[in-house]
Amino acid sequence: MLNRASSGSRWRERPDGRGKVTGELAYLTDRYAEGSLIGRILRSPHPFARIKSIDTEAAKAVPGVLAVLTHEDVPGVNRFGIVIQDQPVLCEDVVRYVGDAVAAVAAETDEAAERALGLIRVEYEVYETISSPEEALRPDGRKLHPDGNVLKHIQYSKGDVEEAFGRCAHIVEQTYKTPRQMHVYMETEGGLFVPEPDGRLTVYSPTQHGLKDRVQIANILAVPEENIRVLSSPIGGSFGGKDELNVQPYGALLAQRTGRPVRIHNSRAESVRAGIKRHPMTIRMKTGIDSAGRILAHKVSVLADTGAYATLGGEVLTNALENSLGCYVYENLEIEGKSVFTNNGVSGEFRGFGANQAIFALEGQMDRLAELSGIDPWKLRGINLRKENDPGAYGQEIYPTDGARQVWRAVLASSLKQEESRNRQDVIPDKPWIKTGYGSAIAMMGTGLGKGIPDPGGGRISLAPDGQIEVAFSYEEFGQGLLAALELMLIEHFGLFEEDLRLVIGDTDRVPESGSSTAARTTTMMWLALGKLVPEFKGKLFDAARERARLPSGQLTLGQGGIRLEDGTPVCTFAELAASGEPIVCEMSTAFPESPNGDFANRFLFVQAGTAVRVEVNELTGRVRLLDQYHAVAGGPVANPQGFLGQIEGASGMALGFTLTENAVMKDGRYAFGNLDAYLIPTIVDQSKSMRVEAIEEVPEGDPYGPRGIGEIGSVTLAPAIAQAIWNATGVRVSELPVDPALLQKSPQYLQEAVQPK
Amino acid sequence: MIDQTWAERAAGSKLECEVNGKAVSAEITPSTRLLSVIREDLGLTGTKRSCEIGRCGACMVLVDGKPVNSCLTMAYQCSGKKITTIEGLAGEEMLHPVQQSFLEEGGYQCGYCTPGMIISVAAMLAENPKPSMEQIEEHMSGNLCRCTGYGGILRSIERAIERGGQSDDRG
Ligand code: FES
Ligand code: FES
Repeated sequence: MLNRASSGSRWRERPDGRGKVTGELAYLTDRYAEGSLIGRILRSPHPFARIKSIDTEAAKAVPGVLAVLTHEDVPGVNRFGIVIQDQPVLCEDVVRYVGDAVAAVAAETDEAAERALGLIRVEYEVYETISSPEEALRPDGRKLHPDGNVLKHIQYSKGDVEEAFGRCAHIVEQTYKTPRQMHVYMETEGGLFVPEPDGRLTVYSPTQHGLKDRVQIANILAVPEENIRVLSSPIGGSFGGKDELNVQPYGALLAQRTGRPVRIHNSRAESVRAGIKRHPMTIRMKTGIDSAGRILAHKVSVLADTGAYATLGGEVLTNALENSLGCYVYENLEIEGKSVFTNNGVSGEFRGFGANQAIFALEGQMDRLAELSGIDPWKLRGINLRKENDPGAYGQEIYPTDGARQVWRAVLASSLKQEESRNRQDVIPDKPWIKTGYGSAIAMMGTGLGKGIPDPGGGRISLAPDGQIEVAFSYEEFGQGLLAALELMLIEHFGLFEEDLRLVIGDTDRVPESGSSTAARTTTMMWLALGKLVPEFKGKLFDAARERARLPSGQLTLGQGGIRLEDGTPVCTFAELAASGEPIVCEMSTAFPESPNGDFANRFLFVQAGTAVRVEVNELTGRVRLLDQYHAVAGGPVANPQGFLGQIEGASGMALGFTLTENAVMKDGRYAFGNLDAYLIPTIVDQSKSMRVEAIEEVPEGDPYGPRGIGEIGSVTLAPAIAQAIWNATGVRVSELPVDPALLQKSPQYLQEAVQPK
Repeated sequence: MIDQTWAERAAGSKLECEVNGKAVSAEITPSTRLLSVIREDLGLTGTKRSCEIGRCGACMVLVDGKPVNSCLTMAYQCSGKKITTIEGLAGEEMLHPVQQSFLEEGGYQCGYCTPGMIISVAAMLAENPKPSMEQIEEHMSGNLCRCTGYGGILRSIERAIERGGQSDDRG
């Protein structure tokens, strides 16, 4: 098991830990600059409407108000979006969700800004809200965008499913529904935007990819990219939710216009209203097996509610479809999916990236097929598991991995599974309404962004003038422990010393392009980049040291603080080396490994997870409690044990919310809640029970990829495992999340008897 | 007869209290919250703002040793009180034992809930050095963390209980 004791000296204090426990670490929303103005945003009150007119005169006249901006004041492109730029910075003609921005205000005080917002007069012609993908697909429905209401449509098939269903011994057909989950990063969106004396603009605002924000902000402001500096770490949580721009365009525009620093920090209510969410999906699956349990045919149809704008909706759909196949082999396949525009907020990137929804459905199919055929559910999975050198789900070439079998075996051997097979039921004699049950699930997830999205990598290592070894990447620290993993990698694997290192991230002026901190890709990318950079860098250091000390060619080594001879005799310090000659810099760029073939999704490097749980269902209240969980994760060598454990625990917590309580309910395009009192994320009470994590580190011999990203996989297997455990406990099948307690409530026997005497 | 204008009344009063052992005074209105005095006026940004409705605990501080949500506490209620924020928890040279435990066990990830979490744990242990799991659950259920799944936090609490108020590892 992965824990502090089993990790020994690899369990380390994180480089960013001290600042976090003392409160000294200033987040970007904690920054203040002398003379800062308050920035606020006026958002649409309607889910769908045409703007007839905007009048800002009265707002501008409020004392203390320095700027009131509308679409007319956007000097550059009035659009943003990571892949497709279709979201207006400030809406000019149509508003498509209740978070759409119509005007932005900068004022000396909160009160003045608030008053100004109230005085902006916008006349709307209200349209009928399109509040579901089904409505959006009606041929006579109003179009949200010029190309219609379908953001993306994907189809893929192999063989002939209809013919194969004819040969199946058992077929399960089921529709699954998953909720609109909210990220609930504890730090809401915000930042500080500072016009500098040299004419540049410094943006302090959390994002998962500072360089990408820089491009987008430059386009909006119509200034060269070099005129903008984005500082983007540390971040108080993101989980995918801060990858897309949020308040940055407004802060930047207001600072540009007023020439004064501007602060914006969303209230929770505004964060709920404007922020992206996880895609609600309706997934239909029809799956058939032969009498031996082999899957002959699998048919999938996904309908995703992507909300008002594209952001990464298309890519999430692609990944959902890839994951609708899991880690099994199929004779015949037919999969199809649509991501559809509606007026329901905006759905986008969220940890798991569509896999959470798909795996819930797929594993639900496996459990139902097991019940139907009488085959043990885990055995049924075992029969259909892919083998080490099998191609990917779409027949694309992938890097060999036996992870699926490894985690499958680990789960089988786990104490929870043993306990289940002994069929231990904790019956509490005086509480017969408490039922316990067991369930398990397995998943396989691609890392990297897959086909269609630029997936760059790379980094820089250099000797700074003060003699520190600077290692720079364009990645961000939002709590996942990137800095800790990087530091440990540099020390353990590349032989550098903690005291000599300076890690540089989160500042576009100081980092090279390494791509986005997303899709569980950063650990692998750092590993690959350092594998090339460090030997080259050491070579350059040794050459410089030899030249400086006039040494003949011979072996040198790197010690703490400087270069040494093989026997340990110091040659020179890093500081001396830095002072004495040409700057020593190594930089490289590369791309995340991608499959050489395949029709779409093209992922190449995969990680797997298997999960077993025990739950308790209270049939009086319908409430489910997670009592015990075990996770086996195959992600290659563990980069940082504390981070690995924390990622799986944290992801499991999010998955628990997704399964039992979380749903950003919307009614007619409006959120039915505004804060964390009505949107319930798990508390310590929900997660104080036993949990064990096992890391399976085995990789094929000569593996070049090192530690894989495990930040997302932990969030996908819990929901189906709990669903199965609920069935095991109560006989009730769950196909919609979050689990509705009413579904599990039973009126006790004695009550029924009292009402209906025999 | 009302003899004050709204502005005069709102411009209001002065808060005099003690924050982290130092006497402070701040201009407040009747609606000023303690959270904004701490963050905006005093620049002590270790205390975080997240829900502002008393649900998440990110804004937790000690007022006369008791944990309170500073987003729900009116500034005028704090006159004459002793307030401790996360910045005032550590000693001159040593971290508070709870901080030390969080550091060692990795009881944080993004760290945004951490100051509030640590304040709550410190307050709990000051009152009850050996809480049961049930007591821990009850005491800590007002502090939300979205990153850790509470695993690291529970290990940190366990460690802090073992430490029994000792910060020094060698001790
Ligand atoms: S900000 Fe005070 S409890 Fe959330
Ligand atoms: S560490 Fe991020 S919210 Fe707790």
